[in-house]
Amino acid sequence: MTTDALARPVRVRTAPLRRISSQSGLNTAAGHLLMVLLSIFCLFPVYWMLVSSFRPANAMFETSLWPTQGSLENYTTAIDAIPIARMLLNTLVFSAVSTVFQLLTGILAAFAFARWKFPFDKLVYTGVALTWLVPFQVVMIPNYLLVAHMGLLDSILALILPNIAAALAIMLLAQAMRGFPKEVIEAARMDGASNWRILWEVLVPNLRGTIASLAILIFISTWNEYFWPLLLSRTAENSVIQIGIQMFMTAEGNAWGPLMAASTLASLPVLVIYVVLQRQVVQSFMKSGIR
Amino acid sequence: MADVTITNVKKTYDGKPVLHGIDVTLPDGHFVVIVGPSGCGKSTLLRMIAGLEDITSGEIAIGGTVMNDIEPADRGCAMVFQNYALYPHMTVRQNIAYPLRLAKLPVAEREERVAQAARILNLTDYLDRRPAQLSGGQRQRVAMGRAIVREPEVFLFDEPLSNLDALLRVQMRIEIKRLHKRLNATSIFVTHDQVEAMTLADTLIVMNAGRVEQIGSPAEIYRRPASVFVAGFMGSPAMNLLPATVGADGEVVLDGIAGDIIAQSSLRTGTPLTIGIRPESITLATQPGKGLPVTIDLVEELGGSRVAYYNLSGSELAVVLPPGDEGLEGKTVWLSFPTEALQAFDRVTGKRLDTAFATSVKRAAPLNAEAVRV
Repeated sequence: MTTDALARPVRVRTAPLRRISSQSGLNTAAGHLLMVLLSIFCLFPVYWMLVSSFRPANAMFETSLWPTQGSLENYTTAIDAIPIARMLLNTLVFSAVSTVFQLLTGILAAFAFARWKFPFDKLVYTGVALTWLVPFQVVMIPNYLLVAHMGLLDSILALILPNIAAALAIMLLAQAMRGFPKEVIEAARMDGASNWRILWEVLVPNLRGTIASLAILIFISTWNEYFWPLLLSRTAENSVIQIGIQMFMTAEGNAWGPLMAASTLASLPVLVIYVVLQRQVVQSFMKSGIR
Repeated sequence: MADVTITNVKKTYDGKPVLHGIDVTLPDGHFVVIVGPSGCGKSTLLRMIAGLEDITSGEIAIGGTVMNDIEPADRGCAMVFQNYALYPHMTVRQNIAYPLRLAKLPVAEREERVAQAARILNLTDYLDRRPAQLSGGQRQRVAMGRAIVREPEVFLFDEPLSNLDALLRVQMRIEIKRLHKRLNATSIFVTHDQVEAMTLADTLIVMNAGRVEQIGSPAEIYRRPASVFVAGFMGSPAMNLLPATVGADGEVVLDGIAGDIIAQSSLRTGTPLTIGIRPESITLATQPGKGLPVTIDLVEELGGSRVAYYNLSGSELAVVLPPGDEGLEGKTVWLSFPTEALQAFDRVTGKRLDTAFATSVKRAAPLNAEAVRV
C-alpha cells in the first residue's frame, strides 16, 4: 500500500468534519461579534461618563473618544459643592442595611412558606406575591405619612424602614428552599436539628448562590433608589448620592463635569461590590453543577 | 436495641387510605425487610416509624414506649435514605459528626466515634472530602456512618441501594448485613427488590396495596406463599401461576388444556383455582413419555442456569433447565409437575388453600395433547 493510499481515507473522513468545524467556528465568531457589539452598547455610556468626568469645563462637549487634556477639576468642584463622602456613606448604609434586612426577613418568611403548613398559607403567600405587583407610587404616600408621623423625615432610618422586607426576596428564596432536597432536611431532623438549625446550618449554607445573587439585586436596586430619598430628604447631609447627583441639574443649566464626576464616584462602590460578589455567585453555580 | 410494635396503624392522604391497619411486631435485633411493589405503602410505614410522617390512627411503639407524638430525633432511630441525604456543604467528617454535635457530645468523644465509624466503613481516607467528591457507594457508606455513630436502637433503611449500580449493590448488601451482625441492632429495611429482601432478611414482610400480605422467614415465604401476590412477587423467575379447575373426583385440570389432569386433590368439584409451581420444580423430559408436551419458545441464558419460557394457553410458563440441556429452543419437551411442589390458591380471593395433592391415577397415561405452540 502506498503512502497516498493510506492518506486518502483520512482525507475523506476529515473533510466533512472540517466543514462542520468551520461552520461552527463561523457561528462562534458571529456570536462573539454580537456580544462585543452589545458590550460596547452597554459599556459606552459608562466609559463616556468616566471620560467626561476628566474633561475640563471648556472641553466638555468635545467628541474625541478620550480626553485631550485630563483634569481633576470636576472632582474637586463636585466634592466642594456637595458632601459627597457623607452622601456615599448614607447610600452605603441605606443599601447595606436594606440588603441585610431584606435577606433576613426573606429567609425567615421563605422558610415558613416552604417548610410549614399553616392555615391559609397559600392565601398569605399569594398576598405577599401580590405586594410585589403594587407599584411604588401607590404606597409612596401612605409610607410617607407613616414615617412623618413617626417623626423620621430626613433620616436614613426612614429610608430603610419600608425596605426591610420585600416580596421578591421572599418569593425567590421560598422557591429555592422548595427545590432543596427534602431528604436532606429530613436527615437533619433525624439527626436532631431544630427548625432554626435546619435553616441556618443546612439550608442557608446550601443556598449561598441564590442568596448572593439576591443580595446583589437588592443592593444595586437600593443604591439606585431615587424617588423615595427625594421625598424624604430635607438636607444634603441626610441624603443619598442619587439626590446629590441631581443637585448638579439646575434650572439654570446642568453642570455636566461635576455631575459626571459625582456619577463616577457613585458608581465605583457598586461596581466593586458587584465584581466581588459575582465571583461568589459563579462559584456557587459551578459547585451546584458538580453535585 | 429494641423491638418495634406496630398496632393497627393506618394512614390516609386527603381522605384516601394508603395503609389499611398494619399490625406487626418486629423482634429486637432482627433484620426486618419490608418488600413490596412501588406505591404499596412500605416507605410510608418506615417514615411513620421514623416520625417523618404523621400516623392517622394506631400506635407505634419502640422498646415498649409509644412514639406517636415523639420527635424523630428522640425515637432512638437512625435512617439511611435512598438519595444518601448528605449535607453537601459539609465534609465527610462533619457529616458523620453532625448528629453528635447536635447531641452536644464532647469533641474528643465525637472524634473517636467518627474515627471508629470511618474505620468500620473504610472511609478513613475520605474524611476531609465533600459528598460531591465521592462515588455513589462511598456516599451511601457516609450515610451509614452518620447513622451508626448515633448508636441507635433501630436502624431504618429506605431503599438505600436503589441508586447504586448492580455490582455495588451486591457489595453494599453484604456490607449492610455484616454491619448488622456486628451491631446487632434492630434494622428495618425497605426495598422493592426481592433479591435484596431474600438475602438480607431474618424476617420478611411482604406488602401490597397498603396491607401486609405475609410475614415470615425468607425461606417460609418462598416455599409457602400466603397469596397469589406473594407467590408471584417473590422469586426470580416468578412462580408459575396457572388457572385450573377441580374436576370430578377432585382431579385438578389446567384450564384450556382439556384432559390434562395434573394432580388429585381433596378440593370440592368446580372450585376455581390458581395452581402455582416454582420454575425449578418442574421436571422436563426430552423424550416422549409422561407429561405435558410443549414447544420451547425462548431460552434465557443466566450463566449459571437457563430459563425456558413458553406460552401455555395464555399463561407464561417458565422452567429452569437442568444443566447440559443445550439447544432446546424451538424443540418439544415433556413437562411434569411434581405434586409435592404444587401450591393452590383460591382464584377469587387469591389466598392460599392448604391442601395436599396426590398423583392422579389417570395422569399415569401418556398425554395425547399436541405440543402447545405460541
